[in-house]
Amino acid sequence: MPEPMRFPSRFASRRGLLLGTAAVSAGALLTGCTSNGPKDEEPAADTRPAADDKPGKQVTIGFAGPQADHGWLNAINDNAKNRAEKYSDVTLEITEGSNDTAQQIGQIETLINKKVDVLVVLPADGKALTQVGLQAMRAGIPVVNLDRIFNTPQAYRCWIGGDNYGMGLSAGHYIGEKLKGKSDARVIELAGLDNLELTKQRTQGFDDALKNYPNIKKVARQAADFTVESGQAKMAQLLQAQSKFDALWNHDDDQGVGALRAIEQAGRDDFMMVGGAGALSAFQAIKQDNGVLKATVLYPPTMAASAIDLARALGQSKGVGGLAEYEIPASITLYSAVVDKENVDQYMSTGFR
Amino acid sequence: MTQPVSPPRGSTDKVPQAQLPAWHGLVARADIRTLSLLGVLAALVVIGGITKPDEFLDTRNLQLVLTQGSVIGVVTVGMTFVITSGGIDLSVGAIVALASVWATTLATQEYGFGGILFTSVLVGLGCGLVNGLLIAYGGMVPFIATLAMLASARGLALQITDGKTQIVTSESILDLGERDSYVLGVPPLVMVFAVVTIIGWLVLNRTTFGRRTVAVGGNAEAARLAGIDVRRQRLYLYLLSGLCCGIAAFLLIILSGSGQNTNGNLYELDAIAAAIIGGTLLSGGRGTIVGSVLGVLIFTTITNIFALNNLQSDVQQIAKGAIIVAAVLVQRRTASTT
Amino acid sequence: MAPVPPLLSMSGITKSFPGVRALDGVDLDVQAGEVHCLLGQNGAGKSTLIKVLAGAHQPDGGTIRWRGEPVVLRSPIAAMRLGIATIYQELDLVEHLSVAENVHLGHEPTAAGFVVRRRLARQSTSALLKRLGHAEIDPARLVGELSAAQQQVVSMARALSHDVRLIVMDEPSAALDPDEVDNLFRIVGDLTADGVAVVYISHRLEEIRRIGDRVTVLKDGRAVAGGLPAKTTPTREVVALMTGRNVGYVFPERPADGVPPTGAKPLLEVRGLAREGEFEPIDLDLRPGEIVGLAGLVGSGRSEILETIYGARKPTAGQVLVDGRPLRPGSVRAAVRAGLGLAPEERKAQALLMLESVTRNVSVSTLSRFSRAGWIDRGAEQGAARAATRELSLRPDNPSVPVRTLSGGNQQKAVLARWLLRGCRVLLLDEPTRGVDVGARAELYAVVRRLADEGLAVLMVSSEVPEVLGLADRVLVLREGRVVHTAPARELDEHRVLDLVMEGSPAS
Repeated sequence: MPEPMRFPSRFASRRGLLLGTAAVSAGALLTGCTSNGPKDEEPAADTRPAADDKPGKQVTIGFAGPQADHGWLNAINDNAKNRAEKYSDVTLEITEGSNDTAQQIGQIETLINKKVDVLVVLPADGKALTQVGLQAMRAGIPVVNLDRIFNTPQAYRCWIGGDNYGMGLSAGHYIGEKLKGKSDARVIELAGLDNLELTKQRTQGFDDALKNYPNIKKVARQAADFTVESGQAKMAQLLQAQSKFDALWNHDDDQGVGALRAIEQAGRDDFMMVGGAGALSAFQAIKQDNGVLKATVLYPPTMAASAIDLARALGQSKGVGGLAEYEIPASITLYSAVVDKENVDQYMSTGFR
Repeated sequence: MTQPVSPPRGSTDKVPQAQLPAWHGLVARADIRTLSLLGVLAALVVIGGITKPDEFLDTRNLQLVLTQGSVIGVVTVGMTFVITSGGIDLSVGAIVALASVWATTLATQEYGFGGILFTSVLVGLGCGLVNGLLIAYGGMVPFIATLAMLASARGLALQITDGKTQIVTSESILDLGERDSYVLGVPPLVMVFAVVTIIGWLVLNRTTFGRRTVAVGGNAEAARLAGIDVRRQRLYLYLLSGLCCGIAAFLLIILSGSGQNTNGNLYELDAIAAAIIGGTLLSGGRGTIVGSVLGVLIFTTITNIFALNNLQSDVQQIAKGAIIVAAVLVQRRTASTT
Repeated sequence: MAPVPPLLSMSGITKSFPGVRALDGVDLDVQAGEVHCLLGQNGAGKSTLIKVLAGAHQPDGGTIRWRGEPVVLRSPIAAMRLGIATIYQELDLVEHLSVAENVHLGHEPTAAGFVVRRRLARQSTSALLKRLGHAEIDPARLVGELSAAQQQVVSMARALSHDVRLIVMDEPSAALDPDEVDNLFRIVGDLTADGVAVVYISHRLEEIRRIGDRVTVLKDGRAVAGGLPAKTTPTREVVALMTGRNVGYVFPERPADGVPPTGAKPLLEVRGLAREGEFEPIDLDLRPGEIVGLAGLVGSGRSEILETIYGARKPTAGQVLVDGRPLRPGSVRAAVRAGLGLAPEERKAQALLMLESVTRNVSVSTLSRFSRAGWIDRGAEQGAARAATRELSLRPDNPSVPVRTLSGGNQQKAVLARWLLRGCRVLLLDEPTRGVDVGARAELYAVVRRLADEGLAVLMVSSEVPEVLGLADRVLVLREGRVVHTAPARELDEHRVLDLVMEGSPAS
């Protein structure tokens, strides 16, 4: 196993259960983008080919994603595009991103009619787009479902996505280990948009991880809404509310820009902060190590590059290198690695703006 | 020939008035509406003081509440003018977003402080000009024209940023948001908010512009027949709202140290709500800057108290809705009994 | 024959709105099966009265009896339950619903209390439309697709879908072609034959002759005549009741002959001014010190002429000159700058800022005089407003009070004070005493005359013939958008003017 399993192995086994047939490190083996094998000197996503990088059968991949109105989604598009360009045997048909369900369905139907070989879909709304996923599968076009999951496994051939619960776990364990031995440690949480299921999952993972550390108490939680503005506003309030605490977990590096701003404005530096998602600005701050931000847990947009790899493998009817199976897995949950000063360099190129 | 009957100025002073102490007018004018808002604010302060005495009753917290209210406060001053004139501006949040991202592109940032300030204000004025022209001279309903501006400005903001967060590097901008720049404990953002409020109050209550705004909102047809250029007045009003959005965008850049296309999210609703609970008539013809600012402070204080008590955003939203309903009901009650 | 109480009997109905007494003790008796016509000028109180009858307004005083029993019409529903239906002039139909849905709106036939039985609704609607002689209207069509006449039929079907005993029709013929009017009258005939009473409001005398049984004439919120026979009362008498004096108005003295000198240079010249479809080219000279009156009935184009001179409407031909210089057509601001001022007919809707004080209402056209760089000197403003309102003896003598608390006459003085303060030279008065209590009118007349004596030129419009004759120096009589006669006021009398305003109308 590569190095990132720095937490007790029972969590790894839980992940194994989550993944079903896929091995914990399937994503890592496949693309390298989320693993951080220490021997691997190359920056992650852009250069490492998947299963087998010899040119093969020509594959046309249709890609449909939501409107890139957030840094992370923008990075998803970039990763997909750059990855496709690496392969001489891949043609990428990419649609204009849309948050409108009806419009996205129309775009995907167009791709089906064009008879692309494989579809990669990051739905604006997973539930609402299940039908069109089924439609594609019935038409014989394998679907790689990216991140936001369809209602039924029948609607995709392979799902690849991040692990929100795992983000919380990783953040909780990282903070737990850092505060080990400190009695009556106080932790606060700056959550993302509370309307979203994923925010609940992240908080749940965080809380579950903290249960392993009886010396730590979560004393406050406020929800921002993934924007810089809300991050600043909510963090400012949290800082006023909690005159003393030891660690902060912020769900999202975008709103973290605002949170850091509030911390700077309040002149506070008496705690450590862990971010989430993996923005470039966060990586840079971690590397400089002159502020409170000490680490961030990944929700890697490189998953889009991996999705292209999977789609190509599907189109060429190949398996995944490094795995015993002839077929690629049905489901791949990426690992939320912790990036801190130790390993930030190798992630730098995956950071999004 | 008939002379205008306005007597020479000197003689007006001799007109005997029902002489009342000077403060009487103030109290009468600071009507029950305003007093009831002050009452709500006082009640909130008591609640905050009881639940979190150390954190709430603290200079830093006062600075925090006022700072956090500054951005939306400046927007609300502009909105108050527009609503007083019988209009509505749904595009304020989008204009703030567009101005803040335009002013923080790498190209703009090269011009430093001045470039960022200039661009914010100019973009705000530009959007206001478009709104004003569409409404005053294009005959469009304000609701629709500003809704269209909302959509386009947000779209343009997204196009400029590509969904990315534009971080501000100018130290002179960033410094303004930090404690070192407080003057006698007053944050620069709060000073701007205060200045905008005072100017807004003076313009609405002491100038021909304000008087015409009220006239247009109270009875546009009567204003027209009285010889007021109603269309030009409307144009100016949306320009003013745009200007306030530009200033607010600049404050937001200082506050958050960045520009993002998601900035100013739902400002239109917050500003309208603050103006309405402040006592400005949604149908136009009456507006109060003091009330609007109190409305903003009430909302900001609620958010503050809830955050200090670690209550979650769902509870905050419910409370906000309840406050709007309660404030309007109380006002209706007091308005009908006076 | 035992005395049968009338179906409806309203007595001593009073209703006041802030600043005006809209109904001042109105009596109205309606018998089952009759067409009772309600006549009156705009503002006489007709619409207030029918709103009281429809339960939409609560009267301040008086009693309403229904079949001899006192009733209180607390709401439109209460009136409907008794069998009173009202068809308003602005039809209150929902354009985006079908005919059947409109007819049954609010009392849909339902199954299990909430499922609308659409087929039943359509069938009963068809039956009603057939009864109204309009079987060709499809109950499933959207009301918005129908013609105005058809919409009126739907409105009537809606009234009849209740068990209706009395129908109030407010100017039902206004939007109809002649043959549609015939059909309307046939329907009215059928209804009355069934014993339904109809209260019919119109200002077209010829219609009242054709279908009316009795006439009640309203003026200034009072019934000046009740239950006149509709077919036999002479037209002149009816018109005189509508437009005539009911109290001895006191008019101020006119200046002696030759003041102003007839040769004096006109201040305002109107040359061939016209608006297609509203009024034909009109010429008019107005000299300082002179009051000219425009007399005419509703629809004669009198207000339109005034508003076009003022620039509030754009003329299709002709021009207006002040001091020999033409005004930019269709520009109120140009007119105001040249010294014109208008006191419009609908004071609340067109002149006053009802939420504001008297001062601010008076100063609104003169703000720049009290301001430097946009900054208002409120002391000077207040003082000037006070002087102007004192000059007109506006009561109360405190310009800080909200204008909405003033009586109609004092509200009118506030409008006059606005123009006085501006130094206006040509005053346009549209129905200057509309909504002004009768007792307060003499004072207003005196004010207008005094302003003229001080050198203003006044052009006034009034539907009250004695008012025009008593106040104006010269009178232009209008009929159907055309000036039919011009003469000095002292050469005219009421009968002559009444003949002129009605001349050629079928009813005369």
